[in-house]
Amino acid sequence: MPIDSTLIAGRPARWDGVLDWCQMLSGLGLILFMWAHMILVASVIIGPGVMNALARFFEHTGLAQVGGPVIFLVFLGHFLLAARKVPFRFEGQKMIWSHARMMRHTDTWLWLVQVVSAMVILLMGSIHMWVVLTDLPITAAKSAARIQGGFWLAFYLLLLPMVELHVGVGFYRIGVKWGFVKDRERKRFKKAENLLTAMFIAIGLITLIRFWFLSA
Amino acid sequence: MPRLLKFNIFRYNPQDPGSKPHMDSFVLEETDSMTLFIALNRIREEQDPSLQFDFCCRAGICGSCGMVVNGRPGLACHTKTVDLPGDVTLLPLPVFRLVGDLSVDTGAWFREMYNKVESWIHTSKSFDQSAVEERMDNEVAEQIYELDRCVECGCCVAACGTARLRDDFLGAVALNRIARFAVDPRDERTDRDYYEIIGNDRGIFGCMGLLACEDVCPKNLPLQNQLGFLRRKMGITAIKTLFRR
Repeated sequence: MPIDSTLIAGRPARWDGVLDWCQMLSGLGLILFMWAHMILVASVIIGPGVMNALARFFEHTGLAQVGGPVIFLVFLGHFLLAARKVPFRFEGQKMIWSHARMMRHTDTWLWLVQVVSAMVILLMGSIHMWVVLTDLPITAAKSAARIQGGFWLAFYLLLLPMVELHVGVGFYRIGVKWGFVKDRERKRFKKAENLLTAMFIAIGLITLIRFWFLSA
Repeated sequence: MPRLLKFNIFRYNPQDPGSKPHMDSFVLEETDSMTLFIALNRIREEQDPSLQFDFCCRAGICGSCGMVVNGRPGLACHTKTVDLPGDVTLLPLPVFRLVGDLSVDTGAWFREMYNKVESWIHTSKSFDQSAVEERMDNEVAEQIYELDRCVECGCCVAACGTARLRDDFLGAVALNRIARFAVDPRDERTDRDYYEIIGNDRGIFGCMGLLACEDVCPKNLPLQNQLGFLRRKMGITAIKTLFRR
């Protein structure tokens, strides 16, 4: 911190708090969406009929047609809000990576997991949303055909853990950052969150396997 | 048979144009109840009198001997060698200006920070030295004392990802300072006054919640809880401010 007795007038600091709220709320909204999304997709494990019925419900009520693009906008908005904290200059990148290597501190590394997974999700999530939303209605047979092509299986095998890690770490971070989780509960909360993340990855993998073997 | 400890110590003297940043190794026989402070003094006395590092109280009170011990900021006098592996790497605290070797100038940083957060009781009452001291609830006094235990070693700032990325970030120590005045009934500042100081990305909203401050603080200050408390308090003030204009 340099020593100075002067100040720069007119810095738009008034919005920092509001933007922080928006970042947290958009993140929370997306976490809830991802959990609901997992329920929809994993319903194929019970049977393709269940998944089709759920998908039909979302399309008949217009939730897919309207909700899809809305989620996409929240997704982009959340990226822009969170990107305020990500160093995009080489100098900053070098600094934060060497800092994490020096500290060997899990929560510092977890932030970098969030940053890296965010970039992957921004690209792959956009592709996923485009592919699904431009080819409504969603049916188990269409999803299975896509997965069985091979390329999309590899695509989702990468996207799935990235999303679940980002969601898991994000949920943990909101809890500790906003003081909803106190220092004494932190360790337990983190353990529970890791377990939840592992569980969601497992459910996602089972879902992918189910699609792979689903006969049209 | 005592262990032989190998110390890899950062060396650089900015005053000397011929000096280049490098690492020096020193080997020392471990003794009973040895702290890093003792080890460094022995190295200076027995092996290299030019080694620079700060210390004062030897007891975790003055906060002078903060340094990076095997990657983690901590106090040399608080660190027992028995808790360390045989290879110990010592670096000066980042963020602060380097004086030489392991010695950094935390004073200038803290002075500036205290000016920024106006680290004193703001009251309209004039002080009457003959009057009996005003009473305070014991619980409140203890709350203040808990946060006042900070020794200003700078470890929380050196461990902070945000502070490494932006040099105008106030850091956990400053936010803890504000939290201390926020619970003090003698300080007449309102949430809006505090918001002017820390209600932005240089203050509480710049914090990314990496919690390294909480994990390295040698005095185990409840930084995580204070940061969460301030974020909620200032978050609510941010919304209020938005609607008030």
